[in-house]
Amino acid sequence: MTQKELRNQQLLQEANERTAQFFTRRHFLKESAMGFGALALGSLIGGCGFDTAGSVSTFDPAHPLAPKLPMFPGKAKSVIYLHMAGAPSQLELFDFKPDLMKLNGQDCPQSLLEGKRFAFIRGVPKMLGPQASFKQYGQSRAWISELLPHFSTIVDEVSFLKAVTTDQFNHAPAQLLMHSGSPRLGRPSLGSWVTYGLGSENQNLPGFVVLTSGGKFPDAGKSVWGSGFLPSVYQGVQCRSEGDPVLFIKDPQGMDRDLRKASIDAINAVNEQEYSEYHDPEILSRISQYEMAYRMQISVPGVMNINDEPDYIHEMYGTEPNKASLANNILLARKLVEKGVRFVQLFDWGWDSHGSDANLAIDIGFINKCRQVDKPMTALILDLKQRGLLEDTLVVWGGEFGRTPMQENREGKQNPFKGRDHHVDAFTIWMAGGGIKKGFCHGETDEIGYSAISGKVTPYDIQATILNQLGFDHEKFTYQFQGRPYRLTDVHGKLIDEIIA
Amino acid sequence: MLPFLLHKKWWVLALLMGMAVLFFIFSARNQPVDFNAEVKPIFNKKCITCHGGVRRKSGFSLLFRAEALGQTESGKPAIVPGHPEKSEMMRRIGLQDPEERMPYKHEPLTKEEISILKRWIKEGAKWGDHWAYLPVKPTEPPKPKPIFFGLITPKKPAWIKNDVDYFIWDKLQQEKIQPSEPADKATLLRRVSLDITGMPPEENIANAFLTDGSDQAYEKLVDALLSSPHYGERWAAMWMDIARYADTKGYERDGDRSIWRYRDWLIQAFNEDRGYDRFLIDQLAGDLLPDPSDDQFIATAFHRNTMTNDEGGTENEEFRTAAVLDRVNATWEGLMGTTFSCVQCHSHPYDPFTHDEYYKFMAFFNDTRDEDSYADYPLLRHYSTQDSLSLNHVVSWIGKHGSKDQAKEVALFLKTWQPAINSLDADQFRNSELADTKWLIFRNHAVARLKHVDLDQKNRLIFRYAGFVKGGDWIIHLDKPDGLILNRIRLDTTKDYNWVIRQTDIQPAVGIHDLYFTYENPHLKKPDESGCQFDWFYFTRSLEGKREPGYDSIQKTYWRLLTAEVPTTPIMMDNPADMHRSSHVFERGNWLVQGKEVKPDVPHSLLPLPPKAPRNRLGLALWMTSKQNPLIARTLVNRLWEQLFGSGLVETLEDFGTQGAAPTHPELLDWLAWQFMNEDQWSIKKLLKEMLMSATYRQDSKVRADLLEKDPFNKSYARGPRVRLSAEQIRDQSLMVSGLLSERMYGPSVMPYQPKGIWLSPWNGEDWKMSAQENQYRRAVYTYWKRTAPYPSMITFDGVAREVCTARRIRTNTPLQALVTLNDSTYLNAARGFAFDMQKAAPNDLAKQISNGYKKMMYKTISPEKLLILEKLYKEAYDRFEKEKDKTCEIIGEMNQYNNPGTAALVVVANAMLNLDEWITKN
Repeated sequence: MTQKELRNQQLLQEANERTAQFFTRRHFLKESAMGFGALALGSLIGGCGFDTAGSVSTFDPAHPLAPKLPMFPGKAKSVIYLHMAGAPSQLELFDFKPDLMKLNGQDCPQSLLEGKRFAFIRGVPKMLGPQASFKQYGQSRAWISELLPHFSTIVDEVSFLKAVTTDQFNHAPAQLLMHSGSPRLGRPSLGSWVTYGLGSENQNLPGFVVLTSGGKFPDAGKSVWGSGFLPSVYQGVQCRSEGDPVLFIKDPQGMDRDLRKASIDAINAVNEQEYSEYHDPEILSRISQYEMAYRMQISVPGVMNINDEPDYIHEMYGTEPNKASLANNILLARKLVEKGVRFVQLFDWGWDSHGSDANLAIDIGFINKCRQVDKPMTALILDLKQRGLLEDTLVVWGGEFGRTPMQENREGKQNPFKGRDHHVDAFTIWMAGGGIKKGFCHGETDEIGYSAISGKVTPYDIQATILNQLGFDHEKFTYQFQGRPYRLTDVHGKLIDEIIA
Repeated sequence: MLPFLLHKKWWVLALLMGMAVLFFIFSARNQPVDFNAEVKPIFNKKCITCHGGVRRKSGFSLLFRAEALGQTESGKPAIVPGHPEKSEMMRRIGLQDPEERMPYKHEPLTKEEISILKRWIKEGAKWGDHWAYLPVKPTEPPKPKPIFFGLITPKKPAWIKNDVDYFIWDKLQQEKIQPSEPADKATLLRRVSLDITGMPPEENIANAFLTDGSDQAYEKLVDALLSSPHYGERWAAMWMDIARYADTKGYERDGDRSIWRYRDWLIQAFNEDRGYDRFLIDQLAGDLLPDPSDDQFIATAFHRNTMTNDEGGTENEEFRTAAVLDRVNATWEGLMGTTFSCVQCHSHPYDPFTHDEYYKFMAFFNDTRDEDSYADYPLLRHYSTQDSLSLNHVVSWIGKHGSKDQAKEVALFLKTWQPAINSLDADQFRNSELADTKWLIFRNHAVARLKHVDLDQKNRLIFRYAGFVKGGDWIIHLDKPDGLILNRIRLDTTKDYNWVIRQTDIQPAVGIHDLYFTYENPHLKKPDESGCQFDWFYFTRSLEGKREPGYDSIQKTYWRLLTAEVPTTPIMMDNPADMHRSSHVFERGNWLVQGKEVKPDVPHSLLPLPPKAPRNRLGLALWMTSKQNPLIARTLVNRLWEQLFGSGLVETLEDFGTQGAAPTHPELLDWLAWQFMNEDQWSIKKLLKEMLMSATYRQDSKVRADLLEKDPFNKSYARGPRVRLSAEQIRDQSLMVSGLLSERMYGPSVMPYQPKGIWLSPWNGEDWKMSAQENQYRRAVYTYWKRTAPYPSMITFDGVAREVCTARRIRTNTPLQALVTLNDSTYLNAARGFAFDMQKAAPNDLAKQISNGYKKMMYKTISPEKLLILEKLYKEAYDRFEKEKDKTCEIIGEMNQYNNPGTAALVVVANAMLNLDEWITKN
């Protein structure tokens, strides 16, 4: 082989190796100290015609959750996402439509039904007026219904997106779309992307925590906090209010903390012996993972315990220790963020107000759900604010879609209770903190709240905005999979500039 | 020195040497540019984003030579072979003006790059194919060449054990790295056993090896392990990631799917060492083989592991299409190491596959019977042996009294209920609809259409339905809702509203027709109440041999078999001609925007379909397993290598394309692939043995200081593999060493202990019901795999949800993993069993207990240092339990003879031992 050939081969090899290493774990072990060692390689990767220069990929399997810098300085450091699974009605909470009241009980005009698909409405349904009264609050004069008396006091802290639309009218795909940018299983969730990009501030706690309430998981199951094609370490860790707060975090019965400490010390001491023989750096990282596991065993139950919170906090949130509740989860979310957890995802089940039974009636069960969420979500904003955390904590509240201005008539017949069907064309989501405008409202729906008429945004736009607040350009934040760079927002998404402070 | 220089002889020599050097330099300069090594990387990096598969700015693309040399929009040819000066591309890359210079608005090319491109065009702009798309050629291992005119053959280096090693040795020499010594016997025993069977060796196998001092000891060990039935379980577990095997259907409902017979088929196929070509043909096209056996049908469940969406309101065609696309992607990524899914939306940006070719390839999979139906049709019905005999009897009777084809038809229908028309294909609903978008239901005065039904030679309709209200009149009309009546059928309430199969005669008609169904039922009082629902319709003819003796009994057996409730497995089956589904290009990958029609074909840049190969999945399978196919053997060789060595010869198992990693040892990859196809006749066991017998594999895995410096990722294989075990291996070995492991093979998936609350699906009544007794401790490969809530400890150790094909698991190292092996009750139970055994074997001698236990785990003597550490832990634990006696019972788990501080302390020690790095790592 000539020198030239050799050199060529080396060059090619190097180029290919660098490319390959970009998305293989072993490279990052080497690069871990640099953190952004891979940044410059981004431009080599390009794929599917998208310019991926500047994409961030800093997966270090030995320290996968080590804190990392975003692409540019972000305004938010952490996110609390309150997802009301089942999709709450915007028409009874935020989107005040007096004209809809006038149409109450009338047949829905044919023009609204043409070309539309509904999950359950068949034939010609009746219009259903707002089932709550509204007033304006705060300096921003935001319309809020009587169902959220606490929340009405903090409207000047939040930005409303009143013209959110989606294209999925079933729960599971709509939830997946909202959280993973795709209605199908298999994509990483928002929280996974964020912890992949930013790591975690607290190595003794998971970086991405999921809390569920309402007695059931969201319809999309655990995939909605899955890591998709990202390394599994970035999937949401479900902290549970019953049983172990994190799976297997509790020592077996009969093994107290000191004994666990002794046993982990012994494991690590033997592993050090092993290291002195094998010199494999992986052994050292195993040792540090065991140490971290031990610390996590203390810190997770600690942070998950709300008993020690002062009375005024319990009063403020409406929490009752030792019970599974949305209020408890919201308080936990604050505690977790305070401790440096990057992304706290809440799901509260039971907002699917079809009117098929009393719990799902818009004038019965729905009111209960509002009561459950009103006080704690208000407390969350106030509490974050008083602790100086609201500035860099982004709070997002919403469902996976909205509800129809029509009363649901399942299979063409009147439902036993008042309810509304799934609706994709208009719903409300609000955001607060983390560099979002205060007391602002973006987007508008028509006079009956059926369609967005201005300031229309999609789940992708919301994702792009959340990433932006954390310091990521959603178009450049990618991960190489199946031969192409994937991003959370796929080929969609536009930053909602209007609500950024 | 001087006299030498004066000597004439030396001058001649010096002259000769000088000439040699000049010649060397000269020839190096004249070495033609290597397209793959020099030109393609420049294109990929600097040009192809705008001028490639996705975009073809100004009508110029660099993906294929014909495109690159073709007409551009400006009319100026970009590349004129032999003439860089006439090539527009060269002009544009050399410009100063950033508005005109290429790459547009990016850094200019370097001088070297420009010079490479210039020389390349001058030399004729020759195109080169990427190595992975060229057929495997025979290679010779780089053995030391004879010198002195063949008179002396250099001695084989002592380190080398087989041909694999020559390749590794050769590169190590170049890199000036020394290989490592062989690993000690104990380490090797554990390594090779975990690799071959996925678990520690059985005692007799281990002892035979450890006590055998002969040179053949290792080979005997390898052979014994390869013939262990656990071999099949271990390799099936690997294959199940590629096949995206799961016990549920996926998506929101994620209901149960009975497809475990496919898993059992895999285990058997691996154990029988079915040739890899046959192995693939059976899985891709077993149903298309002549007279397919049940096993061959079951093998096709490979591509029925795609997800099915049972959620109400979902478009069946959308999810059928999603499943078909998934089959295409899994076939390429899992079996051919090529990422193909980007071609779904546009031509491949880097590799030679066009957009149309994706859909031509999809056409192989698109004409199948499955339609995202709730039942997962088509299903193979598993009859008891007795019933299978009855079935044969019926079939041969029909064969005798009718035609061979009719006999085949009957056999297929009894075995699969196919080819029936699913009721979800109905349309034009009036007072009828698809309930939950799954089944056709009728309200009073219903009308619905079943289009395009072949009625030729048909005089009978068999259908599956459930009746909710008595007294319904179902009328079948020809061509229009009030057309000729083929039959009028009374549909009453079925028992418990369950599904029932019925048959009825119909008026014969000729050719293909749309059928209109009407339904009237005076008992239906409310307009929204439904009277009945249908699952499928099968148009056929009455059984042959009506006048023959025994007809009644045949008819009866036929009906009994048809309606028997039997277990089933989803299988692949092609549409018969009258149900043919055409395939189209999806514009920009959107299934709703169908472009031109395409016929099944393979990408033109690879080999053509073999002559005479049918244009269906069988033809495709033959194409894939042709020895000329460049990807199949290489992909498997690379995958097996990765399983043994921790990373592939091509690190990107999923991508052999120009964007994937280059092979570290291309000749070795090709040599192994050639051996595998030709010498070993596709035998996976032989291929594995070749790798396992190498000195390369047997090396010690200690990371020498020089290796950490020069080759931290062991790319040159100068030491043995050292990687964390897989989720499955970690579970299996801990159960085995503690004596808990059930060695029972096969059967429905089991549900071992998992904490409460892992399943909380809103619309699904299914539940995790803990399996009883030994099923608690079956091998991991038998664990029930629910896609939306996979078994937690497996996922923690990097198992995948198996929604789509996963070509490679990425290993991570997290504290949650430590929590599993420390605290999961499965591992606690393993520690208990292990401790009890240690104690029994050497009562009252702690050092012996621990060192015996360690030996049982690692097959070697524990070092005094390690023993001391563990003894210290024991003492600490002992003191504690001595003081707090109530805790002994807790750690022991039950009140029994072990309930004493000593045993309790030993459980703590055992728990620690089962968490040692050397235990969860393959050394």
